Amino acid sequence: MKKKLRHITEYALLRPLLALIDCLSPRAAELLATVLADIYFSGAARRRGITCDNVRLSGIAKSEVEVRRIAKHSFRHFACLVIDSLKSDKIFTPETWQDHVEMDVDPATMELMKKPGQGVILISGHLGNWEIAAQIISYIKPVVGITRDMNNPYTDKLMKERKPRNNFKLTPKHDADMGRLLTTLKDGHILALLIDQHARKGGMMIDFFGTPASTHTSHAMLHLITKIPLCFGYCVKTGPMQFKFKALPPITAERTGNRNADVKAILKQLTTELESAIRAYPEQYLWAHRRWR
Amino acid sequence: MTKLEILDQLRKTMKDSSPEPIEWDSLSEETTIGSLGFDSLSILDLIYDVQQAFGIDFEAEELVNINTVGELADFLEETLKA
Repeated sequence: MKKKLRHITEYALLRPLLALIDCLSPRAAELLATVLADIYFSGAARRRGITCDNVRLSGIAKSEVEVRRIAKHSFRHFACLVIDSLKSDKIFTPETWQDHVEMDVDPATMELMKKPGQGVILISGHLGNWEIAAQIISYIKPVVGITRDMNNPYTDKLMKERKPRNNFKLTPKHDADMGRLLTTLKDGHILALLIDQHARKGGMMIDFFGTPASTHTSHAMLHLITKIPLCFGYCVKTGPMQFKFKALPPITAERTGNRNADVKAILKQLTTELESAIRAYPEQYLWAHRRWR
Repeated sequence: MTKLEILDQLRKTMKDSSPEPIEWDSLSEETTIGSLGFDSLSILDLIYDVQQAFGIDFEAEELVNINTVGELADFLEETLKA
């Protein structure tokens, strides 16, 4: 009963907030997001602590002042990410999206993404705006991503109704069976997956900034069994509703017969690419995410 | 390879791939792959191991509708012939 009341209260607060966001310009909405993020950063001691601990553990900051600065900006960035994702369906259209995005895509990767019938496994992380990344790419080719339902069913329904459609389809995590994902690739679509989600006991331990983190193996396994190209890409924010999408050359790995070694090599390579991208844009990484559990 | 040889090789491959302790001697053609401890993630490991063990490449999504060990053996027999 208490939980239901909390869910209804959250929903009741979210609705007018969404209406307000709709009325504001991108710049004003970003300012609002920054203020709300700063309030949350000051008040949410536990989440702030996790974020600072993660920044510290990564070794990316040279001092405690920098740890706090990166953590605070990471909160701000995440608030802007939510706002940008919500506003994107009104701002991005097939005619205008290119006005908002600088594309820095390796030519071989672009060729794969444009080739009709060619499936692609696109790997990213909790860096920049991964929702906008999928949306951008879906203007080139249909994209399927996997999402986790929100704990609050009311806000979950509301946010799903708000999600931009275009050619970006989200599959709930509990419903993402391998057959469906394989069919997505066979149909020549892009399967977008995040490499830095905690994989619990079923994952493989891969060093992330020097500390082992349980990593899903399915990204690598899908490539090894289908030979469908694997590409790493990410989308960073460069201004109010302005983004840069970067994608690296495709990764192609041969099967050697040693499954674990093959998977490990691919996951290490993808994780290294993600680390490099995070080093370039540390404030745009979701450090509040508990990667090392 | 005969179907019996395929089934024998499959038993060995599945035993190495399965994350669960299973009574492998009781494996029959009617045994469902799901009952051998393979879930939606570990099935990818099995596909890799089958491709390696039989030295063949096949489109992984062709296995989506295969439920039993016998159906998998039939599929491999057809693929090997082709």
